[in-house]
Amino acid sequence: MSTFRKSISRRTLLRGAGIGLGLPWLEAMVPTSVLASSALPKSPVRLAALYMPNGVNVDAWVPEGTGRDFKLSPTLSPLQDLKDQVTVLSNLWNAASKGGDGHYVKEAAILTCTTIKKTPGADIGNGISMDQVAAQKVADQTPLPSLELGVTPVAIGVDAVVGYTRVYGSHIAWSGPTTPLAREINPRSVYERLFRASSAPQGNTAKMDTLLLDRVLGDAKRLRGEVGAEDRIRLDEYLSTMRSLEERVQRSTSVTRTAWKSRAPIDPKAMPTDRPDGHAEHVRLMMDMIATAFQSDTTRVSTFMFGNAVSNVSFRFLEGVSAGHHDVSHHQKDADKLRQYQLINRWHIEQYAYLLRKLKGMKEGDSTVLDNSMVLFASALSDGNSHNPHKLPLVLGGRGGGRIDSGQHLVFVEDHPAANLYVSMLDAFGAPVERFGDSTGPLAGLLHT
Amino acid sequence: MGLRCIRTLIIFAAFTPFVSAEPKNYSFDESQAFLRTYCDTCHGKSGAGGFRLQRVSTPASLQSDQQKWSSLNLRVKNGEMPPKGAPAPDIDSREQFTQWVTTTLRAEACSGGVSAGAFPIRRLNRDEYTATLRDLLDMQMDVGHPLPADGAGGEGFDNAAETLFLSPLHSEKYMDLARFAMDYAAKEYKSRVKILVAKPGRGVTQDQAARQILQTFLPRAFRRPVTDSDVKPYLELFRAAQKQGQSFEEAIFFSLRASLVSPLFLFRSETPNPSPEPRRVDDFALASRLSYFLWGSMPDELLFDVAAAGKLHESEVLNEMVRHMLRNDRSHNFTQRFVEQWLRVRELGIDKIPDAKLFPTYTADEELRSDIRLQPTLFLRELFLRNMSLLNLLDSKYTIGTSTLAKHMSVTLPLNKNAAKQPQWVELPEGSQRGGLLGMPAVLLVSSYPYRTSPVLRGAWILDSILGTPPPPPPPNVPALEETKEGAPPKSVRERLTQHRANPACASCHSRIDPLGFALENYDPIGRWRDEDGGKPVDTSGELTDGTKILGPDQLKTALLARKDLFIRNLTSKMLGYALGRGLTLKDSCTVDSIVAELKENDYKAQTLIQAIAKSMPFQYQAGAAHIAKEERKP
Repeated sequence: MSTFRKSISRRTLLRGAGIGLGLPWLEAMVPTSVLASSALPKSPVRLAALYMPNGVNVDAWVPEGTGRDFKLSPTLSPLQDLKDQVTVLSNLWNAASKGGDGHYVKEAAILTCTTIKKTPGADIGNGISMDQVAAQKVADQTPLPSLELGVTPVAIGVDAVVGYTRVYGSHIAWSGPTTPLAREINPRSVYERLFRASSAPQGNTAKMDTLLLDRVLGDAKRLRGEVGAEDRIRLDEYLSTMRSLEERVQRSTSVTRTAWKSRAPIDPKAMPTDRPDGHAEHVRLMMDMIATAFQSDTTRVSTFMFGNAVSNVSFRFLEGVSAGHHDVSHHQKDADKLRQYQLINRWHIEQYAYLLRKLKGMKEGDSTVLDNSMVLFASALSDGNSHNPHKLPLVLGGRGGGRIDSGQHLVFVEDHPAANLYVSMLDAFGAPVERFGDSTGPLAGLLHT
Repeated sequence: MGLRCIRTLIIFAAFTPFVSAEPKNYSFDESQAFLRTYCDTCHGKSGAGGFRLQRVSTPASLQSDQQKWSSLNLRVKNGEMPPKGAPAPDIDSREQFTQWVTTTLRAEACSGGVSAGAFPIRRLNRDEYTATLRDLLDMQMDVGHPLPADGAGGEGFDNAAETLFLSPLHSEKYMDLARFAMDYAAKEYKSRVKILVAKPGRGVTQDQAARQILQTFLPRAFRRPVTDSDVKPYLELFRAAQKQGQSFEEAIFFSLRASLVSPLFLFRSETPNPSPEPRRVDDFALASRLSYFLWGSMPDELLFDVAAAGKLHESEVLNEMVRHMLRNDRSHNFTQRFVEQWLRVRELGIDKIPDAKLFPTYTADEELRSDIRLQPTLFLRELFLRNMSLLNLLDSKYTIGTSTLAKHMSVTLPLNKNAAKQPQWVELPEGSQRGGLLGMPAVLLVSSYPYRTSPVLRGAWILDSILGTPPPPPPPNVPALEETKEGAPPKSVRERLTQHRANPACASCHSRIDPLGFALENYDPIGRWRDEDGGKPVDTSGELTDGTKILGPDQLKTALLARKDLFIRNLTSKMLGYALGRGLTLKDSCTVDSIVAELKENDYKAQTLIQAIAKSMPFQYQAGAAHIAKEERKP
């Protein structure tokens, strides 16, 4: 029996994520001047999607009544004061997500309307997500094309039981069929990123960054010429992200820099903590980040995941909830579990309402940021117990720049494509598409005619 | 190998009966009968979904149309086909069919011998990035922490080339972190002297000094010798920075910073093999393959030197190098990343958090949590260092102990009294019920719910992580367990599961899963021993599908040791997948077979596993250019 080898200190080994970096960005940056609000160009339209894992307690979800004359359900009641700003959508579904397993196929496709390839990783495949269709349309108009956020890191491992990599369950935003977009989960990092992206570079930083990026792009091009076709895909990912960084640097220093101006200053003193106290605070801070990004116009597109597919985050911080999220969603019709399930659903709606209210409080000329936004709340399942992909729980908040006829409960025939909703949203956003996924046209009744 | 040999292959299939149906001699004709019975209606003449049975109707198709066989096998195995509503085979005939296809395809794939397989380009993952900067710049901190975490692919590890995507977020962070790291290196004495190997002045021009610095640094950053065409652009970058008014030092650190954002640093790539035949990778590439396998970081000076001498691939040198590398502390990184992902221990504290009200001591005691988490990692590491049998993972006289763990596990351990809090290798007392992975709280924790144990989770965990035979997914619409009637006493988990198994749709899989989990019911959700649960004595009895009756953890381990071939094959597959950083293909199963055979001859010695992998064809060779595209996924 020997004492364990001396040099391995268990404290060091377990240190893990402990060290913050404190990048000295603050001194180097100043916010770009903000134009007087009267001179602001026409308000842009913003688009966000909030994803909740594990479905809903359907009995407590669906509002009573249809059209303008409807009563919010118990789960949706936190939206009461926003009722004229939201549109509840019933009976839509995503046909591409019907087969496969209970979670990954549903979640990864919620914004892509594409059936994912079943794979532990080698030949991952999905479609482009609707938020990225929007982002790619306006990529050159804001510092960040889009903002992908979450509160939990990418799920670990491959789900050998169903044969999917958990990468699928951790991403709703896909910039292309093979490229899920990584999410930021640290609120302070998001804030730093927004601040920096919206600030003009100091001194010769931009010039130096351009030199550096030219160099590494040169290396990448050379390497690309040497490798086989499969490997080129990876280097293309590198090239495209580095090029877009370079373009951003160039835009920020262009003498004819008329394309973008911050619409509201980002206050460096309002920087959030990088260690939120629990799940609830973490989510709130991320909602704040979306609002800050939209108000300043640092980006117009954002997605947020309350959790990964099959998330089993503990909601014991809620009075009356004793089990994890996924466990409760498999309620097996047990009355107590259904009650807890509903409380968890309702909590998510409260966070959603918090974001909508925050956007509503942000004046933008005669309107508000909420008036000029579309914020979708979605789960990829209705009843989580049976992994039911029909009758998706969907709410759209905001008026999309006045295009959306909000304040309604729209009820469609069963299994009407959710893709039609996305077609209409992209239209209101200013990135119209002929078709998306299995769409059959715009969503009747959503947009003002 | 032709189909004549298929009968002998059935012996192979005999490895799996424990977890599935009884084996029997299965023939090609039977496979055809199966397909005609269950698939012909849609995939006969009408060719639904673009697939006709005709494509798989000849023995030759097993060779020429592997892809089709693989994908149809997967769909049948997962119960996706036949579709809902169509007549479906029972689980036994389903598995006889899929096992026959798997074994036959493997044999066909192996008929040409062991193959090299692809070695796709991949970026450093977050851990590798951090460790590489640590070793490159002497930087003892978690530099990569701000990067997004990496998902996993292949055999379930986050170093799998196929799932290492690059998002705009990565690129921004790489820029920031390179700046941060180089600012750090410019200030820290140890890092500075290592980098600034030349100074301008005394007959040395600024250009000459910069060139010398680059010629020393870039080979380490790019992990291969550099040519003038590699150095020149970085020298030009240095000059350009000077033109912007930067001092010598500022300019050279700026140029070095760029190298940390270059794909030559961020990606692991090897000179492609242009010939159609596989070829041995050069020794520098091999050095990186080894160092990222066993250290998760760049090669050290010794590895570079041995590679430069062109000796690294020599069998004796390689064996010694593996031993040397395992002894190095950096290998802790490897064992931890491997074990925590293989056994899913990484989920502790993330997805697996025991209920704080039910288990206040666990929640409050950080030392206990860290000891629990490290135990399996340190145990495997000791097996490597001591070169002991890998079967110790199933059951062992030894464990890793601390005073905290001893108390938690209720065993008396002969700990070194002066360092009882330090994890140490100790002998377990007789009848401790703590030998092997299944006696370790970490494993018992990850396979429990936060508030109770679950025989289903634990059974499925054993089938998946230990035996490599994950149960098929539950059918899409799982019938709910029957509700307890109003006023009736709540039923125990065992009663509810017994009820569940009464439903034939559930029974086929749960009769396999549940008994394994019941045997571990003596361990509570945080891995403590218990004789009672909810005031009733714990019942650990169960019957395996082959009729073996088991009672309690010791008998479960005996049953698992009787299936050690399955376990060793699974461990070998996982380790090979980790070593190669990609998912395994059908062709790789030949490599796995040969490593398993070598392990068996060497009493399952732990170092043999690593050495055999390091010497294997896919680890040492690059596939021929024409070959890569044809590789098939394993069924």
